[in-house]
Amino acid sequence: MKLEIQNVSKRYTGNKYGLKDFSITIEKGILGLLGPNGAGKSTLLKMIATVSKPTEGTIILNKNNIVKDANYMRKQIGFLPQDFGVYPNLNAYEFLKYMAAMKGIGGKDLNTRITQLLEGLNLIEAAKKPIGSYSGGMKQRVGIAQALLNNPKVLIFDEPTVGLDPEERVRFRNLITDLANDCIVILSSHIVSDIDTIADEVAVLKNGTLLLKGHQEDVINKVRNNVFEISIPKGNYNLFKNKHLIVSTTRKSGNLMVRYITDNPLENSVKKEANLEDAYLYLTKTK
Amino acid sequence: MNFFSIIKYDYLQRTRSYAFLITLCASLAIAYTFVPEPNANYSTIRIADYIGQYNSAWFGYVTAIMTSLFLSLIGFYLVNSGIKSDIETNVGQIVATTKVKNFNYLLAKVLSNFLVLLTILVIIFTMSIILFFLYSDGYSFEVFQFIKPYVLIPIPTLFFVAVLAVLFEVFFERYTVVQNIGFFFLFSLLMGPNPYNEKNFSLDLFGSKIVMSQMEEQVKQVADVKKTKQLSIGYVIGNVKKAKQFQFNGVNFTSSFIISRFLWVLLGFIMIYISSLSFHRFNIKEKITTKKHKATIQSKSIIKNISLSHLAKVKMNFSIFPLLKTELLLLIRKGKKWLWFINLLGMVLLTFLPLQIAHQFVLPILWFLQVSRLSEITTKEITNKVHYFAFTSYKPIYRLLVSQIGASILLVLFLALPLLIRELLIINFSGFISILLGGVFLVLLSASLGIVTKGKKLFEVLFFMITYANINGIPFLDYFGALTHSTTYLSKLLTLILILFAFTFIIRKKQLKKL
Repeated sequence: MKLEIQNVSKRYTGNKYGLKDFSITIEKGILGLLGPNGAGKSTLLKMIATVSKPTEGTIILNKNNIVKDANYMRKQIGFLPQDFGVYPNLNAYEFLKYMAAMKGIGGKDLNTRITQLLEGLNLIEAAKKPIGSYSGGMKQRVGIAQALLNNPKVLIFDEPTVGLDPEERVRFRNLITDLANDCIVILSSHIVSDIDTIADEVAVLKNGTLLLKGHQEDVINKVRNNVFEISIPKGNYNLFKNKHLIVSTTRKSGNLMVRYITDNPLENSVKKEANLEDAYLYLTKTK
Repeated sequence: MNFFSIIKYDYLQRTRSYAFLITLCASLAIAYTFVPEPNANYSTIRIADYIGQYNSAWFGYVTAIMTSLFLSLIGFYLVNSGIKSDIETNVGQIVATTKVKNFNYLLAKVLSNFLVLLTILVIIFTMSIILFFLYSDGYSFEVFQFIKPYVLIPIPTLFFVAVLAVLFEVFFERYTVVQNIGFFFLFSLLMGPNPYNEKNFSLDLFGSKIVMSQMEEQVKQVADVKKTKQLSIGYVIGNVKKAKQFQFNGVNFTSSFIISRFLWVLLGFIMIYISSLSFHRFNIKEKITTKKHKATIQSKSIIKNISLSHLAKVKMNFSIFPLLKTELLLLIRKGKKWLWFINLLGMVLLTFLPLQIAHQFVLPILWFLQVSRLSEITTKEITNKVHYFAFTSYKPIYRLLVSQIGASILLVLFLALPLLIRELLIINFSGFISILLGGVFLVLLSASLGIVTKGKKLFEVLFFMITYANINGIPFLDYFGALTHSTTYLSKLLTLILILFAFTFIIRKKQLKKL
């Protein structure tokens, strides 16, 4: 299973680009897409999911150009869009059967599969009630179920944890890890903690271009030995902020404990172990 | 939030939409026909055998009253979702937390509605002047003959229609169907025939009767037309060749009529004030919860381990029947359940009323009752945000679109079933086929307009106009064979259906390619 994105651009009216000359190759495992809002993550995912077409470039799945043959991808994709909806008058069972029909799947075991998914996502008790009466987290789980209806070889989750509570987020991350045993999973988020515990590889995007792609360790290496922590008086914060790249701030005994990235640490700074969030902020704020 | 800001941004938000542009173009196309081109084969206003000479007064008054009627007819449907869109976008909840008073908010909505209608009015007004210079044949241009009728006839009318749109939204909240049907009957009632006298002129919201009355008077002066009530307003085809011309010099409006036009506006303000006392101020969910004791379902989030390889295996199945079934289910479940009792009542009437009445009056009204169902055929994916799934489904044109159209045709034909059976029983195949084609035409009209405009408005507006014309027996818009037609009628209707069918598929295909 190999997904190749080759020199893909998405140009909107005028000379505005959602994505520009983007190339990446994805093989089995989880790829985490990180980037600030407007970086081009959703644009990229929509093109992979065949919702939209690239203005330039090709997307190839197992040697098939899916820009020309979208149905090849559609047979093997599971897509959970960022801002999806449901038909509120259908119940979960009916909605999933409808989604299955749209995807062109059926067979005598379809009902069993839907039941298994509803059980797995703990929706079975509410399965016969209209989706319009579901909570946000439950609707999100219906969305996950529809993505798993066919035997997806490529699973795309666009900001899947939006609307989930902390417990649901943890459980969802575990689910994705399980699913990645059978297919390619591409997961986008602007929350680093959603990615860092599960992604095999990470791609960082900004302004429609790829800043870096690699294993987490490779990405973190960009700021290894450059992350420090220092305690400063509150009054000095603005001055400090103008001179250094701050990752986080916590209050401690009337002072501020500041985590920052620098090549020239101040006196009394304590060197810290770099993590993905440090690297992500460094890449998106400085490049 | 500043009162004028609400009006300004609400107006901008509406007029910048693609649907508004399309409606504007459609309005212009219709306005172009208000005063027929000198050699045209139809008339719009005609008194017995007479039409007016193409002078300034005739252009000014004819276009003013036609605009008053036409824009009232479609204007309501064009602007009746101002509050609804604030609910859907959650802007209403922000408004609710500001200092703006209910009356100010509702009045701002009325004025924004009014400005939208006024925009169309100004364009039609300009067009009427351009048409005058194209068709006038040497008559002098008198600008006052244009301004006077426009100021006194359509402007107060449109203000009151803008008020009605807000009132219906306040009092019927989420019952869109009740709003649509309610206005339909109200409009029909207001258009009802009344004797020409001073009192009725003042009570005439559309302001057309006083003009028509004076046109009749002026015809009487040049012709021996004593008992004339042979006045026609609306599109009548093929009656122009015999028409004679009379000189229309405009109307001397009585002071009571002029005062009545101001009173209509004042009445609008009073009605808005009264409605503001019971306005929900976007506290809608709570109301519903209290009424129905219906709470959102919650379930514990225990996502278990799911292994794709251990799930039951599914096979490829490209049958469209599961899609067709769900599309039908979506159509049936749309709207309130009690509306189905009205549908059943309509079907009973189709069974027992005299055939002509059932065909000409009951069937179009019964179909019009489905307006909110039919207008969603090809727009519901986007409004429900299901389009990511729908447009990436396997062969979305040949499977999904076909099943959407198929399910809708099944629905409209099911509703017409008693009439279809009756036509068969009396061996009237022409009537039978006309109804079948009418149902198909209606569905394709909705599907195509939904795809082109990406919204419901244009279809709703047109469907309303067409139904109104059907009930008034205007042959040109009889799409389901209720009136007597020549033999070529069926073939013309079939051709139109084929064109719409091809158009719908081509446009959707192009749309999907452009995503």
